[in-house]
Amino acid sequence: MTRGSADLTGEIRLLLAEITGDRAAIEAPLGTPLLRDGIGLDSLGGTVLLTEIKRRYRIDIADEDLNLDSLASIGALASYVQARMAAPRSPQ
Amino acid sequence: MIKCVIWDLDNTLLDGVFLESGDRPPPVSTALSEVLHDLAGRGILHAIASRNPPEAGVYTEQATGHRFAAVVCGWGAKSAAIDAITAEIGLTADEVAFVDDDALERAEVAFRLPEVLVLAPQDLREAAALPLLGAPASTEEARRRGELYLQRRARREEARAFGGSREDFLRHCGTRVTIAPASAADLPRLHELSVRTHQFNSTGSAVAEAEFAAMLRSADHQVAAVRLADRFGDDGLVGACVIATSPASWQVRLLMMSCRALGRGVIDALLAWICRAARAEGTDEIAVTCVISPRNVPLRIALTSAGFRTGKELEAGATRTAVYRRPTDDALPELPDWVTVPA
Repeated sequence: MTRGSADLTGEIRLLLAEITGDRAAIEAPLGTPLLRDGIGLDSLGGTVLLTEIKRRYRIDIADEDLNLDSLASIGALASYVQARMAAPRSPQ
Repeated sequence: MIKCVIWDLDNTLLDGVFLESGDRPPPVSTALSEVLHDLAGRGILHAIASRNPPEAGVYTEQATGHRFAAVVCGWGAKSAAIDAITAEIGLTADEVAFVDDDALERAEVAFRLPEVLVLAPQDLREAAALPLLGAPASTEEARRRGELYLQRRARREEARAFGGSREDFLRHCGTRVTIAPASAADLPRLHELSVRTHQFNSTGSAVAEAEFAAMLRSADHQVAAVRLADRFGDDGLVGACVIATSPASWQVRLLMMSCRALGRGVIDALLAWICRAARAEGTDEIAVTCVISPRNVPLRIALTSAGFRTGKELEAGATRTAVYRRPTDDALPELPDWVTVPA
């Protein structure tokens, strides 16, 4: 089963809206940053997001992406999840 | 009043992980089972929210000899399990406590269900001495701790109703963060923080009072203590950092903050102060050595959010470690006006 990137981006937008309690994430441009002035996630909100991504997609971003560049924007996060779902890492 | 305690199982009510224990499920934690029966004797209900198959619930009922009011075993979020339990028993979120050993699960529940009293297993015995959980008498310490829970709840309820941004809310609460050089009187609390903080701790190891004392005396180290208060109450000393200072670089040896201060802008204020203080001293770079663990994800988010970046992990020992660096010559994070810093 494959999943279109539009579906995935939509899912991530909904998740962000749910975490922040603000529907702005559903319409925000793809380049909107997730932390601070963008979507406005703080360290706790960011942790809830990463925990939910791990639960839904089995991708442990906090373990793999030490600089958390995947939190740079809505688009960056969607691309990261998309790429990792297309090419799962083999267990070490 | 708390009417129901909702339990995690793996490494909480059970001394081990159910699915990793083969044919013999892990025994029930003696200490926690005692608290469970004590609370049941006061008329408090118990429920289970566990990431396990239903057999784990059946086993725990047999092993504790207690009939749980609701059992939710599955793979969903803990907040969803708590929603299901409160709906089933007919309680509101402010009438339940949730006990889980996993700091991230606790954070998820605290974030999504701010009314729930969220506890680590080691805090449950202390909480069980509170009138909030039906305890009769009350010591001074228990009273103070009880007030703290009530303050936290009042703040969260107000936050939920508040319309503006998080920064507006912190201002609205009269938040005051004070950063100042630590003193000898702070040593016991600094040690306690080094033992008890996990989500916001860069090293994950305990530091003895004597070690902190030596760093207080050292001319090459700065130990800064962070205090927090607002109109709901005074949280006292909630965080600290230890910095080895040299003209070329500030090496942050320890960053820690109590989860009591979670979501209240404290870690961001501390990082912004470190950046600005380093630049004021003419230092070019700040380096924070940080353990990479699932437990301190919130701290690593705060670091990257403050512009810190890391290269490869250090190859040393069994503990994963990386150094997060940033220069002091680009745009530094803002220091909000409610933060008081050393002159």
